[in-house]
Amino acid sequence: MLLRRRHFDADLEEEMRLHVELRGQQQIDAGASAEEARYAALRHFGNVSSLRERSHIAWGWSWLENLVQDAGYGIRWMLRSPGVTLVALLSLALGIGANTAIFTLLNAILMRPLPVEHPSQLVLLGDGLDDGISDGFPNTGLYSYPFFRQIRARNDVFSDTAAAFSFIDNVHGTVQGRGEAEPMKIQLVSGSYFPLLGIDAAAGRTLQDDDDRIEGQSPVAMVSYAWWKTALAADPAVIGKRLTIGSTVFTIVGVTPPSFFGTRVGELPDLWIPLSMEKYIPPRLDGYNDGMSESLNLIGRLKPGVSREQAESNVNVLFQQILRGIPNAPVNSGTIAKLNKAHVELTPIPGGIASRIRWFFQTPLEVLMALVGLVLLIACANIANLMLARATARSRELAVRQALGAGRSRLIRQLLTESLVLALLGGGLGLGFAALASRLLVRMASSADNAFQVNISLSLPVLLFTLALTLATAILFGTIPAWRATRVDVSVALAAGRTQSGTASKGPLAKTLVILQVALSLVLVAGAGIFLRSLINLVNVDTGFHRDNVVRMRVDASSAGYKEDARLAGVYRQIEDRVKAIPGVRAASFSIFTFNEGTWNNDIWVQGYAAGHREIDVLHNDVGNDYFRAMGIPLLAGRTFGPQDTATSPRVAVIGETMARKLFPEGSPIGRHYGYQKAVNAGSFEVIGVVKDVKYFSLDEPQQCGDYLPYSQNIRYLNEFEVRYTGDAGAAITAIRRTIGTIDENLHLSDVGTLNQKIDDSLTNRRLVAQLSTFFGLLAVFLAAIGIYGLMSYLVNRRTSEIGVRMALGAERPQVLWLVMREILLLALIGLAIGIPLALAGGRLVSSSLYGLNGIDAVSLGAAVAVLLAMAALAGYLPARRASRIDPMIALRHE
Amino acid sequence: MSRDEIPPGTLYLLILKTLARYGEMHGFEIANSIQQHSEDVLQVEEGSLYPALQRMLIKGWVKAEWGTTAGNRRARYYRLTPGGRKQLEVEQTQFERVFGAIVRVIQPA
Repeated sequence: MLLRRRHFDADLEEEMRLHVELRGQQQIDAGASAEEARYAALRHFGNVSSLRERSHIAWGWSWLENLVQDAGYGIRWMLRSPGVTLVALLSLALGIGANTAIFTLLNAILMRPLPVEHPSQLVLLGDGLDDGISDGFPNTGLYSYPFFRQIRARNDVFSDTAAAFSFIDNVHGTVQGRGEAEPMKIQLVSGSYFPLLGIDAAAGRTLQDDDDRIEGQSPVAMVSYAWWKTALAADPAVIGKRLTIGSTVFTIVGVTPPSFFGTRVGELPDLWIPLSMEKYIPPRLDGYNDGMSESLNLIGRLKPGVSREQAESNVNVLFQQILRGIPNAPVNSGTIAKLNKAHVELTPIPGGIASRIRWFFQTPLEVLMALVGLVLLIACANIANLMLARATARSRELAVRQALGAGRSRLIRQLLTESLVLALLGGGLGLGFAALASRLLVRMASSADNAFQVNISLSLPVLLFTLALTLATAILFGTIPAWRATRVDVSVALAAGRTQSGTASKGPLAKTLVILQVALSLVLVAGAGIFLRSLINLVNVDTGFHRDNVVRMRVDASSAGYKEDARLAGVYRQIEDRVKAIPGVRAASFSIFTFNEGTWNNDIWVQGYAAGHREIDVLHNDVGNDYFRAMGIPLLAGRTFGPQDTATSPRVAVIGETMARKLFPEGSPIGRHYGYQKAVNAGSFEVIGVVKDVKYFSLDEPQQCGDYLPYSQNIRYLNEFEVRYTGDAGAAITAIRRTIGTIDENLHLSDVGTLNQKIDDSLTNRRLVAQLSTFFGLLAVFLAAIGIYGLMSYLVNRRTSEIGVRMALGAERPQVLWLVMREILLLALIGLAIGIPLALAGGRLVSSSLYGLNGIDAVSLGAAVAVLLAMAALAGYLPARRASRIDPMIALRHE
Repeated sequence: MSRDEIPPGTLYLLILKTLARYGEMHGFEIANSIQQHSEDVLQVEEGSLYPALQRMLIKGWVKAEWGTTAGNRRARYYRLTPGGRKQLEVEQTQFERVFGAIVRVIQPA
């Protein structure tokens, strides 16, 4: 094309030259001198270069050529002032990179489609927000296996239906050929799960319907690609390998493809085992034929042409029929009334079932996305100022080019292309930066027992997002300076010669940009302030227990082969006693939960209460006798559990103060009775003590109703073990491990740590926001400081001669200093005046993510204002001092 | 000597008409011809002829061939294509319609 182009140019050139010469000849013939003739001919002909350009445009070549030329020009300019370029590129890369990194995570947890066949056809019965096991009736969130069997057979709207356990079983098992038992995460699924998702095995076969027909007859497992790689060291002979969990030997039949991570984002099970083996996998639930054991998520694939609404109505008709037919359902007038009102919602799940990760991190990431958007805006304002300064410095060049016939649009395009080059380089760097940053984010978002496992590899939406962002920044920081720089009066600009001509226009726009930076920085700094204060409020929340000096761990008795019987209670008691005998240990107790691990609840019936049934959610915990001492939960009335409470003595309970107040508003609760589920149970437990309320799920929850039952009277698997110690946690842990090992070496410990770590883990999302908003706030202040410094240096330069005159006329240095500082402070104050209402509005927007604060508080806002004023004063002081040191003689010669 | 700029948008019409009248011409001849036929009233900014000719080449209204002038100089000669002839009619009709309308507006009733 360039060859053709040269040819074309030569032709055009020749044609136009002929024209001018012939016209000149005509003039000479008419009697003009050769000089006059040539001049007249040229004048009539018009601007040759402009004409050439117009001809090029006609052929549509100019576009690409100009682009290449302008890009080259832009790069040359950038190389000429490497310092400025570096600052611009770095702030762009940081801005775009941070945006891309946050977007990558948001995309991964919210938008990325499951790597399965046609994910848009998948729907979930219910909203998927509950997990666990329930015996509620009716339940529209979790379902039993018998329900699944029926709905799969009887519906007309799904091409197939699959069931998956609503939670992952954390167990210990032994792989054939390896001595040590190791932790593994198991996902129980129906045989239809893999066929429904359209997942083929990477090796071996997937689980099939035949694996899920007869209870207990299919001890097979599929392993995840990641687990095969790590735990099995990519063993090529993995198929057919045996795996022992408890006393059951499973055979590995297949490996899932590398991209597959299950159907909940962030969970990533190690093994998938058919639901027909539910009873053989800890916690050994007997739900395969129990219509009231509700623990499953049900997934349907819509038949082609069936809408979600059609499917929903069909599912609801069946829901009513199937639940009424469940043999052990607690059918009475109350539950039937509830059932009549119950409605199953079908949730589209192209991105997977709502997961903990989504619930925990969605809002924080959205808040951070908004914050980094502001940071990028501030960076753009800086670069716009740089471009403006550069365009101003070039105003004479631009004026000359316009005088020579360059179109204004052509010049604007050139300046924009240069911006685009800068933006694209920044975007490219930003993409690289984002790859690092998103990995760092994942690490920050992970906690000891909750790894943040999402797919953050580069994807098309992320690339498009970054590209769009890059183009948007180029337009943001490039347009106004380009438009502004080319809007010059050519004759004035040229006449003004080499002095700072045409620069008067830079002032107001540049000041506006700096004001904008100050305003946005204030929003970010004030935001960081409230997130930090909210976090501090949370850390200082009274948990009800004493969080220091407690070691806790999970003890997996189920995988070691224990059943829920007296032997289990015996081993728990033995461990408690032996650990308590370790020097430095104050108390040791088993329980089902400590903190942030879930709970379970039941309907409560109170003896002697007229209405009987109380609609109060009571969170239960089964504990050892020493639990309250181990956790440091103060006893407020009565007594806690002791050796007198045995399997044969009357059943007793300890309740929390809020529960005591709600259930027994009059008189002492001690000696009163209540029970679970049914009216006939109202006398089950005698209240023997009241303890302080504790937090269950998170630090920001309101006071909950909670009760405790002693495991000595009803034994279940109690996975948590808490030890109050003095001295060093590490030493305590070593001693505890050794002691438990001597009692039963098959008891596997996992998730070993302190209670404080557990509390910290529950704050991961808030800590992420607090840390990152602080970082972004500081970044914003830094960028704004660069902006102010740049602007003030420029203004001081421009006013050099004025200042020189003032000093010659007797102005003192402090007066000059103040002259400059006054301008800076004025800009900063205007920025703050704009920023304060913005910050207040922003605070209201995020108030639901705050604890103990209602939007922006005075402390955060005051601190932010102080930080920004200090920053403005500091950034402005250097140019101001330079101004005050101007030598009048030199300054006046400067003109 | 006062000469008037040609009305905007009529340059194509003038070139097309000139080529229709004389068959084959190079750029200078076209410019000269327009000037003479308008009895020196219409003044083409002569250079702007060339971008216009380029655009007409792209649109396929004219064809160009290199030849030699009477003075034995190399010159690019332009000639109407059938498409150019059709375009001439279009431009002429349009011009007459607009011009007639303007005349009706400014003539006293």
